[in-house]
Amino acid sequence: MQQGGNVERRTILKAAGASLAVAGLGATATACGGGSGSGDGTVTIRYSWWGAEDRAERINKTIALFEKKYPKIKVKTDFQPYTDFWKKFNTQASGGNPPDVFQNAIGFLRKYDAKNVLLDLSAQVEAGNLSMEGFRAGLEKFGEIDGKLLGVPVGSNSMALVIDKPVFTRAGVKPEQGWTWDDFDEAMTKIRDRTGRAGDSGMYGVMYLYDLYLRQNGKAFFTKDGLGFSEADLTQWWTKAEKGVKSGLFADPKKVAQIKPKSALSAELAGSEFTWDNFTVRYTSEGKSEYGLAPIPTTDGEKTGQYLGSLMLSGYKRTEHPKEVAQFIDFMVHDPEVAKIMGYDRGVPTTQAQYDAYRPTDPVNKAIAAYEESLVEAGVLETITPHPNGADICEAAFLRIAEEMALGERSVGDAVKQFFSESKTALAG
Amino acid sequence: MGTAVTHAPAMEDLAKGSEPRHGPVKPARPAELKRRGRRENLAGYLFMSPWIAGFLLLTAGPMAASLYFAFTDYNLFDAPRWIGLDNFSEMFGDPRWRHSVQVTLWYVVVGTPIKLIAALGVALLLAQKRRGQAFYRAAFYAPSLIGASVSVAIVWKAIFSDDAVVDRTQQLFGIDAGGWTGDPDLIIYSLVALTVWQFGAPMVIFLAGLKQVPRELYEAADVDGAGKLRQFWNITLPMISPVLFFNVLLETIHSFQIFSSAYIVGGGAGGNACGPADGTMVYTCYLYVQGFENSRMGLASAMAWMLLVAVALVTAVLFWSQKRWVHYEEGGR
Repeated sequence: MQQGGNVERRTILKAAGASLAVAGLGATATACGGGSGSGDGTVTIRYSWWGAEDRAERINKTIALFEKKYPKIKVKTDFQPYTDFWKKFNTQASGGNPPDVFQNAIGFLRKYDAKNVLLDLSAQVEAGNLSMEGFRAGLEKFGEIDGKLLGVPVGSNSMALVIDKPVFTRAGVKPEQGWTWDDFDEAMTKIRDRTGRAGDSGMYGVMYLYDLYLRQNGKAFFTKDGLGFSEADLTQWWTKAEKGVKSGLFADPKKVAQIKPKSALSAELAGSEFTWDNFTVRYTSEGKSEYGLAPIPTTDGEKTGQYLGSLMLSGYKRTEHPKEVAQFIDFMVHDPEVAKIMGYDRGVPTTQAQYDAYRPTDPVNKAIAAYEESLVEAGVLETITPHPNGADICEAAFLRIAEEMALGERSVGDAVKQFFSESKTALAG
Repeated sequence: MGTAVTHAPAMEDLAKGSEPRHGPVKPARPAELKRRGRRENLAGYLFMSPWIAGFLLLTAGPMAASLYFAFTDYNLFDAPRWIGLDNFSEMFGDPRWRHSVQVTLWYVVVGTPIKLIAALGVALLLAQKRRGQAFYRAAFYAPSLIGASVSVAIVWKAIFSDDAVVDRTQQLFGIDAGGWTGDPDLIIYSLVALTVWQFGAPMVIFLAGLKQVPRELYEAADVDGAGKLRQFWNITLPMISPVLFFNVLLETIHSFQIFSSAYIVGGGAGGNACGPADGTMVYTCYLYVQGFENSRMGLASAMAWMLLVAVALVTAVLFWSQKRWVHYEEGGR
């Protein structure tokens, strides 16, 4: 019996050893799983982006098209909503396993360049894998920082004032290119008095609008390595906001917070809202009214301070397949079929070929196209101001602190101090 | 006297001779015994090895790393840079951190007692014999089984958001306060409601405790003419105080660690991380924001260790206080 017991034990030990070995092998296998490429020369690149289901459907169609044209390249996709996207990206990137190619924006270029994450695509341009020709209105320079090509714009957009058309008509307000902030304030008052609705949903927290306001006054939100305005500037902006909230010109901030994620404009709390022009589609599906685009108010009756903003595609610096990444980006920004599938989902296509390939037929997208064309015709477009490392954190803080100020949780002075202290930390990092 | 001196060696001999054995095993020689013992130990360790490896890799390692990061400036990308106690001094100087401490303490101090009172109240009701008792117990316990899940938090958010069930009910009574989850002052109450709703686990423990209280005590009290309330204060509470202590301890620690419900009800994906105007910015939420949104892992680690110290302190105070109000029966009955 004793001997039998020993044998049994030995068997169990062996089995345990074997299973440990298998577990070890398993671990090695997963560790290698990150890499890609198989015997027949097929490579797999990972592509991730932020957005929602409808964008996913469009993007999957474009990828099917890409894989047909490049049968040796497989594309694996992954997507999250905006904020979750960057959390996941940070974690992946710090673990040395970020996607090979990903959606990016101006606010992140310096940040991830400083962290050695972004692939300089200029070598691929020289090698002929990526063409930087045929871009509209100087957009090809958009992803360049310190002589490095860190991103290729896929869609351009610009700030606009989205309005509830019937409300504006009832109030007898007709915004025109070149209207001033005084005209705007007057319009807000008219809307409040004649329609019983707040004029605006609360633009004091929209960083990109405040940037335009500063640019109209010869300043900017960001400089290359810091903030381009003073505490006095922000105090003035938020004091005006506080008054607007109290007098009912801007929507009740508490209500606005409560109805999130719905927008205050489509929830009929306000007559207008400042946002990126390609977001307009959202209002039509959310609300019952008819929505239109109005120009940005000016300080001097001419300059809006506007520039084209853009979503970009960037590559990972240490990707094993820089050539395939470049080919993928090239296809996505130049192929006319891609534009027909994507529409204005990520903004107006950046290359002339794609711009010509997609002519919108629905009223919302037509309005976006007309708005962007009017900007070009009015000649108000300028070049974008730089975004320093930490800009993304500044933007989040700006939005949050503006909301706290509007909700009455902070005085204006306190809010301004808090924003400058948080930005200082963010921009130092 | 010499007896005392000779006594000890005698005992030793006695112990050697009467070594307890299980089963009819032949006495083995010491060397062989040692060898077998070692083999058995080895087998034991081998069987434990998955757990030991898991502990070292997944618990001890990360904890040590986190302790090191707490004293560094670490942004996930660049190598950690030693900065001593800077993280801690920054923490105390940060108004947002102080706000998160306030929110958490409020949540612990308000939420935990309500939850325990609810648990004890329902346990008292369910301790009595009545029809369908098993069903009620299961029904009240169910929420704490699923309560910690993300899906419940999402449902909760849907219940308390604007123009949803709670809001509409309020409107029936003429209160137009809007949804709770969008209101920086009200949202925390929806979190408290969520934790109170999950009183099932402490309730079951209370039930077990109530069963242990000897019936004779109540009978004696009845004879002496003590009312129900009197019996509760003077018999039930003291008799279940060890169970009460256990529940207070567990639920307090649990409350300090609240994260997923605050994060999801407060906003989660998209927009503000933890409620409008930081309304549900509990400690762990801010820790998450600093770590994953602002990429400040060093600071987040320091915050985590601060939380550990705080919870340890609170636990120590509770243990110290138990001398005054927890009654253990001595010597058995």
